[in-house]
Amino acid sequence: MGVNWIGLWTIIRREWSRLMRVPVQAFVAPWISATLFIFVFGFVVGRRISLIGGHRYIEFVLPGILMVNIVNAAFLQSSSQIYFSRFLRYIEEALVAPLSYAEMIAGVIAVVVARSVITGIGILVIATAFGATSIASLPEFLFWIAAVAMVFGLLGIVIGLWANNFEQLNILNVFIITPLSFVGGMFNTVAMLPGWLRWLAYANPLFYFINGLRHAMIGYTDANEFIGIGVAVALAVVMSLAVWRLYAIGYGLRE
Amino acid sequence: MTPALSVSHLRKVYKSGTVGVSDLSLAIAPGDFFGFLGPNGAGKSTTIHCVTGIANPTSGTIEIFGVDAVKRYREARRLVGLSPQEFNVDTFAVARDIVDWMGGYFGMNAGARRARVDMLLEKFDLVRHAKKKFRELSGGLKRRVMLARAMVNDPPLLILDEPTAGVDVELRRDLWRYLTELNAEGKTILLTSHYLEEVERLCRNIAIVANGCIVRRGSKDELVQEPGGLEAAYLRATGAECDHVAA
Repeated sequence: MGVNWIGLWTIIRREWSRLMRVPVQAFVAPWISATLFIFVFGFVVGRRISLIGGHRYIEFVLPGILMVNIVNAAFLQSSSQIYFSRFLRYIEEALVAPLSYAEMIAGVIAVVVARSVITGIGILVIATAFGATSIASLPEFLFWIAAVAMVFGLLGIVIGLWANNFEQLNILNVFIITPLSFVGGMFNTVAMLPGWLRWLAYANPLFYFINGLRHAMIGYTDANEFIGIGVAVALAVVMSLAVWRLYAIGYGLRE
Repeated sequence: MTPALSVSHLRKVYKSGTVGVSDLSLAIAPGDFFGFLGPNGAGKSTTIHCVTGIANPTSGTIEIFGVDAVKRYREARRLVGLSPQEFNVDTFAVARDIVDWMGGYFGMNAGARRARVDMLLEKFDLVRHAKKKFRELSGGLKRRVMLARAMVNDPPLLILDEPTAGVDVELRRDLWRYLTELNAEGKTILLTSHYLEEVERLCRNIAIVANGCIVRRGSKDELVQEPGGLEAAYLRATGAECDHVAA
């Protein structure tokens, strides 16, 4: 059987309509949060910090702020979509339909990327007001937005399939993703870390994502950007295969 | 002739160790109106879930019009419409969207889908309620939405799990009429119900399930003609005691 394009489009428009039930939570909340970060760390504190790699501090932190919000948007979109469809059992509508697992996954990820892009654009517009928006390489910038949204969207699907209650749904975000984001070079260069702690940065995938986006926006990098691209692509491929396999065996989906 | 539904030695054991279906085999001829009876927990819904892809069979084979429901699941699912017992719906969605989305999942283009959804909303008297959220509807109206959703892709095999539970008398009779028409047009219908009057009125063949396997099967006429009628035959088959009403 070929691709069920209409079925795939139905998943996308359905998930988009679900997202549009909570536009304030989905978009306005991260924009407000990002505004506060840009203002306090980038503007108020940043005015007292000397240049980093020839760039103002506000320009240095903006990619990290952008990346953290994209990661959160992607993870929340997919994890909540999968969890609530299981909780209310309407996931069964897709299970009884002639949809392939790839179509089901692609439909979810398409809306994840759309939500992440809109969140990111909003933050860029806000940052313009602070004179901090610059994009050194547009293709690289778009790669990072899409790749990171996809990786964390797929991770969100895994958590959405695994979680059996609301607490489990949020555990990964609270205890892993958010802390790794903050210690992933969001506010500092690797050189600013104590020597004995620098390995932690290089072992943190979020570091490469933030570093990669920073390179795309202001040309500054703390590591070989191709390592970051490799990490992102490898994670996207591995996560895609893993999620496809989970769908195929019915993990969290079928009794 | 290829059966509309062929289930062979189906076994389903849940992760908890509970045996939902122990060893169930049945064949439903195309165009049949087949009743699937049994007490709560007998394995009716589990069987239906395995047929439709909501549950993974532990072992056994399932074919829908000769198509393996596991190995060629996408082809098989095109042939089935399901109205399940529980409301498995996005309760914040409006009635029209619920039916429309299911049509989209089955690959129906926008024009065909709109016409089909309009017809079903009209048929189930849901036009006035089309823009209401599912959670705002009464139990009977919710059941109508489920039925409309099951029929949106006009499947050759329709599986209805307790379709008239909570439904008013008027709708039940309208539904009986509609199902009889569909069956007369050639649609195969598998019906589970606790209303024996409904089964007696609609079905031509019946299987009675208990403890995960079929304990009795036969034509409706055969079972109805037994002493005490269908109810007594059912109670005898499931091992329940006939009371003075059924005996």
